[in-house]
Amino acid sequence: MSAPVLSVRGLEVDFAGSGRPVPVIRGVDLDVHPNEILCIVGESGSGKSVTALAATGLLPPTARVRGRVVLDGTDVTGAPPEVLRRLRGEAVGFIFQDPTTTLNPVLPVGRQITEGQVAHGRLRQADAPARAAELLGEVEIADPEGRARQYPHQFSGGMRQRAVIAMAMAGRPRLIIADEPTTALDVTVQAQVLDLLRRRQAETGAAIVLITHDLGVVAEVADRVAVMYGGRIVETGPVDALFARPRHPYTTALLESLPRLDTRGGRLDPIPGQPPLPGALPAGCSFHPRCRLAAGRPRCAAEEPALRPVGAAAAGQAAACHFAEENPRPKPPATVAEAAASAAAAAPLLQIEGLKVHFPLRSRVLRLTRGHVRAVDGVSLTVRAGETVSLVGESGCGKTTTGRAVMGLVPVTGGDIRFEGRSVVGLRRLAMRGVRRHMQYVFQDPFSSLNPVLPVEDVVAEPLRIHGLYDSFGGARYIARLFEMVGLSPTMFGRYPREFSGGQKQRIGIARALALKPRLVILDEPVAALDVSIQAQILNLLQDLQRELGLGYLFIAHNLSVVRQISDRVAVMYLGRVVEESDSDTLYEAPAHPYTQSLLSAVPVPEPAGRTGRGRIVLTGEIPNPAAPPGGCTFHPRCFRATDRCRAEAPAFRPHPGLPSRVACHHAGPPGTGASAERTEEAAP
Amino acid sequence: MIGYILRRLVQLVPVLLLASVAIWGMVYAVPGGPVGVIVGENASVEQIAAVRAQLGLDRPIHVQYLDWLLRAVQGDFGASIHSRRPVMELIEQRLPASFQLGLAATVVSLAVGVPVAIISAMYPGSWIDRSLSAWNALALGVPTFWLGILLILFFAVQLRWLPAISTHVPFWENPFGALRNLALPAVTLGLYVSGIFARFLRASIVSELGSDYVRTARAKGLPERQILLGHVMRNALLPFITIVGLSLANFIGGAVVTEAVFTYPGIARLLINAISQRDYPLIQGCIVVILVVYVFVNLVVDILYAYADPRIEYR
Repeated sequence: MSAPVLSVRGLEVDFAGSGRPVPVIRGVDLDVHPNEILCIVGESGSGKSVTALAATGLLPPTARVRGRVVLDGTDVTGAPPEVLRRLRGEAVGFIFQDPTTTLNPVLPVGRQITEGQVAHGRLRQADAPARAAELLGEVEIADPEGRARQYPHQFSGGMRQRAVIAMAMAGRPRLIIADEPTTALDVTVQAQVLDLLRRRQAETGAAIVLITHDLGVVAEVADRVAVMYGGRIVETGPVDALFARPRHPYTTALLESLPRLDTRGGRLDPIPGQPPLPGALPAGCSFHPRCRLAAGRPRCAAEEPALRPVGAAAAGQAAACHFAEENPRPKPPATVAEAAASAAAAAPLLQIEGLKVHFPLRSRVLRLTRGHVRAVDGVSLTVRAGETVSLVGESGCGKTTTGRAVMGLVPVTGGDIRFEGRSVVGLRRLAMRGVRRHMQYVFQDPFSSLNPVLPVEDVVAEPLRIHGLYDSFGGARYIARLFEMVGLSPTMFGRYPREFSGGQKQRIGIARALALKPRLVILDEPVAALDVSIQAQILNLLQDLQRELGLGYLFIAHNLSVVRQISDRVAVMYLGRVVEESDSDTLYEAPAHPYTQSLLSAVPVPEPAGRTGRGRIVLTGEIPNPAAPPGGCTFHPRCFRATDRCRAEAPAFRPHPGLPSRVACHHAGPPGTGASAERTEEAAP
Repeated sequence: MIGYILRRLVQLVPVLLLASVAIWGMVYAVPGGPVGVIVGENASVEQIAAVRAQLGLDRPIHVQYLDWLLRAVQGDFGASIHSRRPVMELIEQRLPASFQLGLAATVVSLAVGVPVAIISAMYPGSWIDRSLSAWNALALGVPTFWLGILLILFFAVQLRWLPAISTHVPFWENPFGALRNLALPAVTLGLYVSGIFARFLRASIVSELGSDYVRTARAKGLPERQILLGHVMRNALLPFITIVGLSLANFIGGAVVTEAVFTYPGIARLLINAISQRDYPLIQGCIVVILVVYVFVNLVVDILYAYADPRIEYR
């Protein structure tokens, strides 16, 4: 094997805060070779991003870095700033998480792509525009000359990340560091971007360090994997071996706690407890309080295990566990679902019929209505007691607006919403308040949806006080019961939201939603902001509460694996309309709409063995502007089955023969049928 | 771009109309009114009626307003009750002086505030940041009248370098003389506002320095200087344009204390005198002119803003 592009030995990083220094990285060794993708996986606070920033000298001055980092033949640790700066422009390229904030909003994209090279004297200013266009062409952006002169806000999210890739590649670097490069992107765009990244790597022979929390993405692209926990690498090895036979109990537990696209519902196996905070690490092995193997083994709590080879030497796997040999194989994904509840028989709780929510677009001066954004344009759904119905779709498809319309938070343009048989559209404030008592909302972001100046007891009690029910429901005793119901201790009453972790905050949000004993709960991306191990805990909690209280859930999410885990029925939305609706099993196993099929095929599955064999439909283009949707079927510009009929005529939403599904497509059918094989050109936004 | 400016001008019409009603009505709503000022306290009913008829106050109220508005649009606010000279003539004498002082004070506040902001933002929390922050607090805390008097005592009375009473010398006729006369009032006004500018701009730069695009720029290996000037300042100056515009307009129309301390012939002092003499036509004229200056400066700011921020479309 050739010499590594990046070699890290004994890396330690402390952050000097106001108090004593907090160790964030505690001894990391790794090598990355040319033409190789190393994925670093871990939950928040595991130190994965800090490792990459430390390796390139990008940490703020409050960080103290020790150890030896050799990048492209240069010793980075202790190198003078000027040497580091040259190295960054020439040897390393960076791709960061959010392409919206990564680019400077007031400078043209082309200039941002080439300015690094110009600053390093490797490109003449006069040649910069041509080079920018060339680089944009290489990342498959149409009209690269014109696009290079535009500003970031004129690009779509996927195009921005392509531009960032072009920027990272501008200096033909030997190493690319990609920190969660697709986390902010929709799943179909993520597939495009990962594809592109892999292709560009093959063309340039660069090494890639890809940092992610998503084991699906790892299985999709990695050659080798390093799993981080508590500031150390706890397991490393080639991707196939690591997924097939993980040697560290944390890796096993992560894989088991993951909701998967290819398995049916049932309970997840969450990792108990929280990921540790840097600065408050448990003694001994930092994973031992959450570990299955550690029970009754005092050595785990006493002695920190070293990273050592495990298994056959040829496999190249290493784990930091005293008992790595005893680590069991991950349980095969559960295939037996609990018997479908009697939900189908229950009377409908929520009925949405032909719901439309249009937002007017007004002109600047005279405020005349110039058109409408059809955020929701004909959605029909039924949720019964004890049943979970999910709305899935990419950003901007109208799923959140649908949820907000049900709550009466946005005005309804057309159609009807009935709660327990009674229409709630156009209710007066007071009547709506009475209805709202029975339907509650859990928000996506547990960090901003709790009032930071209220103690959590008051946060949970607030809906009761608003409705004047605090005393009749039992006051503080009732609040204590709610806390226990969501797995929190009533001893935490007087604390403030900032003292809780993300998962605990979401538990508080759920307790607040349950306080009024609602019959319907609208869950808007309740686990999207949480770590994998915490996500499983919350999903299990939601399922338990549903069973105990007979709640109906309207579950809004973009993550198809999570939706599969929790749903009885699923509706797929595209540009304000439901394009396919069915029971969960049918939708995932026999999708009939080409959009559902491409969505499902774009989701990375944590199964590296199958990644070459999967027939994948990579959609071109991105979601069009809902203010100017395409004519006919709104999906036709991106559809692999589109015909002239699709361009002219919008398909009706009707039952699909032979399946318990309703589909809006002229050419509905299982994958591989009716495909006209030809792909349409990328939709120019 | 031109279409955008025209549209913005059209949008100003209702603003100015509404303000004109308020300015015109405010004066007539005050008890006594202009008639009392003219006829004195012991006037007979006939005298009052005669003056009312002479001023046109016996006509229906909307006729009075429209008449006033039509003249005002042509720059005719009538004659000053006190000096009997046309209001517009009095204002025209004062306005160039006010503009000159406003611009000079803005130059002073930018020249002091911007470097202070940049230096303290580059080393947040350092001793230099803390001492510059103390300097800003001092600039903000010292009352303008007191600073003005101190400056006069030192530079005019003690050293005799600069005049104690500032008169208006047009800059293009005699730049040196203009600077001599402007120096003290401009420093008095500008120093105070430089404290506001420096605090605001420092916060803006510090928050921009924490943005992801700055990390990107560092990751590209750009020199810090280029990151600060080419990336950060472009963004940090956007909100700053707005307050510089507001303060310029404020200097022109509201430098009451400074103009009084230096007996500077600006429009703010003209207005204050008019108010104390209840010279209604002059009050109305001054307020309308100051208002137009405000609105116009803000329009220029908006246009600059749209020019500097590509995310704003000229629509």
